[in-house]
Amino acid sequence: MTILVILGITMINSSIAGNIELTTTTPLVDRQIIFAVAGFVILLVMAAIDYRIWGALSLQLYIGIIVVLLALNIIGAALFGSARWFRTTLVFIQPSEFAKLVMILVMADYFAKRLHLMHDPKWTIRSFLMMMGITIWVILQPNLSTSIVLVVLWFVLVWIAGLPVKHLIGYALTGIAVLSISFPLLVEFEIIKEYQLGRITNFLTPVDPDDLTARYGDRYNIDQALVSIGSGGLFGQGYGQGPQVQLRFLKVRWSDFIFAATTHELGFIGAALVILLLAFIVYRCLWAARASPDAYGALICYGVATLIAFQALVNLGVNLNLMPATGLTLPFVSYGGSSLVANMIAIGLVESVIMRRKVIES
Amino acid sequence: MTTNSLPRTNFEPWRAWLLYGLLGLAVTVVLARLFSLTVLEFDLRMAQSDDNRTREISDPAPRGIIYDRNGNILARNVASYNVVITPASLPNDIADVQRIYRQLSQLTGVPVNSGTVEDAKLFAACVPGPGIAQLVELGASNSPYSPVPIQCNVSEETALLVREKAMDWPGVAVQVEPVRDYPTGYLTSDVIGFLGPIPAAQVEAYEARGFVARRDKVGYSGVEAYFQDILSGQNGQRVIEVDVAGQELRNLEPPISPVPGYNLNLTIDIRLQHAADARLRREIEGWNAYLGQMRISSGVIIAMNAKTGEILSMVSYPTYENNRLARFIPAYYYEQLVEDPRKPLLNQAVSGRYPPGSTFKIVTALGALNEGIVTPSTIVETPGVLVLTESFSPNDPGREQQYVDWIYNRGGVLNPGGFGSLDIRRCIAYSSNVCFYKLGGGYRSEIPNGLEIDRLEQYARALGYGEISGIELLGESPGLIPTRQWKRINRGENWSTGDTYIASVGQGYVDATPLQVLLSASVIANNGKFIKPTIVRDITDNEGRVIEYWENSDGTLTRTPADEDEESRRISPFTPFMHWDITVDPIIKGYICERGFCSETGIFKTVDPAAIRIVQEGMRRAVTDAELGTLYAVFNPVVNGVVRPVSYAPAGKTGSAEYCDNVAQANNRCQFGAWPSHSWTVAYAPYDDPEIVVVAFAYNGGEGASVAGPMVKLLMDAYFELKAIDLAEQGARP
Repeated sequence: MTILVILGITMINSSIAGNIELTTTTPLVDRQIIFAVAGFVILLVMAAIDYRIWGALSLQLYIGIIVVLLALNIIGAALFGSARWFRTTLVFIQPSEFAKLVMILVMADYFAKRLHLMHDPKWTIRSFLMMMGITIWVILQPNLSTSIVLVVLWFVLVWIAGLPVKHLIGYALTGIAVLSISFPLLVEFEIIKEYQLGRITNFLTPVDPDDLTARYGDRYNIDQALVSIGSGGLFGQGYGQGPQVQLRFLKVRWSDFIFAATTHELGFIGAALVILLLAFIVYRCLWAARASPDAYGALICYGVATLIAFQALVNLGVNLNLMPATGLTLPFVSYGGSSLVANMIAIGLVESVIMRRKVIES
Repeated sequence: MTTNSLPRTNFEPWRAWLLYGLLGLAVTVVLARLFSLTVLEFDLRMAQSDDNRTREISDPAPRGIIYDRNGNILARNVASYNVVITPASLPNDIADVQRIYRQLSQLTGVPVNSGTVEDAKLFAACVPGPGIAQLVELGASNSPYSPVPIQCNVSEETALLVREKAMDWPGVAVQVEPVRDYPTGYLTSDVIGFLGPIPAAQVEAYEARGFVARRDKVGYSGVEAYFQDILSGQNGQRVIEVDVAGQELRNLEPPISPVPGYNLNLTIDIRLQHAADARLRREIEGWNAYLGQMRISSGVIIAMNAKTGEILSMVSYPTYENNRLARFIPAYYYEQLVEDPRKPLLNQAVSGRYPPGSTFKIVTALGALNEGIVTPSTIVETPGVLVLTESFSPNDPGREQQYVDWIYNRGGVLNPGGFGSLDIRRCIAYSSNVCFYKLGGGYRSEIPNGLEIDRLEQYARALGYGEISGIELLGESPGLIPTRQWKRINRGENWSTGDTYIASVGQGYVDATPLQVLLSASVIANNGKFIKPTIVRDITDNEGRVIEYWENSDGTLTRTPADEDEESRRISPFTPFMHWDITVDPIIKGYICERGFCSETGIFKTVDPAAIRIVQEGMRRAVTDAELGTLYAVFNPVVNGVVRPVSYAPAGKTGSAEYCDNVAQANNRCQFGAWPSHSWTVAYAPYDDPEIVVVAFAYNGGEGASVAGPMVKLLMDAYFELKAIDLAEQGARP
């Protein structure tokens, strides 16, 4: 627990560090501190609450989040081309961040109760439909990257819960078949948008590293991220000293590309530290899963580990140009109140599991 | 194993291990990639990062000013006002921005909205078309801190109004851009030339010297081109740090200030230039109007200081208005100039090649006298028609051909006796073709051996034909003095006797520029000294100090002489430069000619000053001989029934050069006796101590004395009048 508190503070610090580098006038830093403090309080509260209570509230959570997402799709504010936020007087709330938590809790409860029935495809298919009940609204926002996270969460939990391998192969083949038929249709009816395809083609297009002529082109963001990371060197340009960040050549440096900004100013050492800290959190979640007193707690921990690990890896992959651009942020570090609070809650759940472990063992 | 662990986590452990493995692999890949970027690619990425934030800015150097010999400005830089908007400085409130756009639109007439931003991308800066909002939007998306020109070259009044509104219209400003201005415009455009963008092929070479391709302009013709490097100066340079919006933050290196270009003082006298241009235009346009057709298509007048070679005026008609090319070169105007068959962009004075006609008789006369073909007292019979043999080799029996003197058929009256018996002076004064046919090609026993083309060429070259003079203007043509070899190579034919006859009177293959005709007379006027013509008096820096400049034999201009054996000549401050003195320098290749064929003697000779004197007397007689002197009527006008000779005692030579070009051919004029002719006159004055030498040329002008002659006279009148005014002014000063 103490380790995690220190870790949490480090995370907050580093997230603030990423934001102080901003020279913008909007109070991103203040907001992030408020969210961090609030998130930390919620974390402690969540840790104190017995996680098993969420299992009992599974149905309410499930229906609740669908109602919220549905409302968002109908009346939500259209920002940056997608209806992802609820505008309140104080802050924007991004319900899809919380949809991830609900997905973990609901699926963990579902599989924990059906651990011995996994050889029967009926339960797997039913869980898939349940998952889609949430995911479909996120896809329609449209928010493809979050929907992928939701699917991945479901898949990992199915896997841990003991999905037979031959079933998996069967589903995979069906999935490939369905996708290859439906993909052209999805593009045709603009369910997959052109910019989303563009990101993939941008990623697949080979780049000459000497050619930075596309100063304002589609590749600009990712090119500048690579320049920022590379010019960080071993020790970085120094905190608040990096020209890529200070002169604003790196775009969305406070959220999607915060890792590039951090590497630019703190170097390989700093960046590696961030990666290792994240890896440690994930490790702690996995450790909690094995120490969990029951299957429900374990599945929650696996889910949280997947949530953090998957988002972090995708974000790092984008920053390092290992995969196409997506909207996923770096957990704990990137700016984003809803995401920070959601991740804090997730850690709170894991802590709760760890605390209950002691009770049972003693 | 233990039963109590099963109820808690009865998952298969390998499923979790697979998860761990995948995660471990992913973290390893990410760390490896991070290491490769930060450590292995550091240099490359660092360079790219520096490239992002540093920008080299070139501060333009003001171009040198061009003056005439009396300090009148011929080319300068004037401020041109552009109304610009800096997108980043506009107010945040959209209503405010719209108000500014509307008010600015009212003032300038540029619409608020016109077309789309995509359309605006197609327009070059300053070209009217896009609306204000589109221009600003485009500018804001490129670099919001760079001013976007909304309207260029606005009046000073508009510029002041915009400046007054500075408080109400944040973001709107007036930018001052230097633009080349030619106060004398078309009057001097052939000498001054014009500027244009750096040609694509030379961009690299210019950029290496600090020029900016799409901003800086370079001379395209005239002295603007010839003295490009001296006029342009050196651009200043700064290395600055910018942010992503292009806002300038600081100098990264100590800035280098621009060095202004040097000023140029020309030898042109703008008053004389005015006189020459007015006369040339009046004459050509007057004749064309009188004849009701475009008879004379082009013309040239050049006046030169006979002793120093300073060009006092040089006009070429038709010409162009270089102010119209100053801001940018408008395609329609440029095409109009290029497609005009009269070639207005060409300075005909140095680039035009025409048969010099009878003005070339100066060469033949000098050669004949110096080679002893005639003596000052020899009498040549000049009947109206001469029958000569055209043969291509000594064994060629040839065929007889009639050669007609200009006196033979004058206004329908036949004159078979021609000029009768003439000495060489009167041959020149009357411009008898028959006399010069005989001198050039020989005639039976009267003149057994003529000058022949070999010796004619030597004297022509000695007087400046067949070679560029080295005047500081681009595109000077060498003209053509044919030789036997030239004809065999270029025409595939032997040199014929007929070729020699017509070459002796400046026809046939002989081609010369008006400047060369002028120079040939100036050599005679100067008693054999061939002075290089020049257009530059001196080069000064921006504080008026004269800068020493040398022109080397390879054409380069340097601050110190670069050639070892005194080949470099000082062009600033002005020092007259003599190519040679034909009475001193043995530059004439000796030949012995026998029955039309010549062989080299290997001895180089000079010209006897006495021969030059006889030619001078002949040219003077053209003016003074009341009987048949070709220029008598021109320089001895009858005022109220009384003959009033001009006060300045000129000497000269006319020329009516028959030609047959594609235009004449189309008009079916290329027939015996019907050939059109160019009108020439070259003269100097006073004949005993020459100050000025003038040539006038009119394309298809007809007889030399009637069209070109009056032009020369008027220019000489103007010159001596101006001289009197200047002297009076100097005398008036204490």
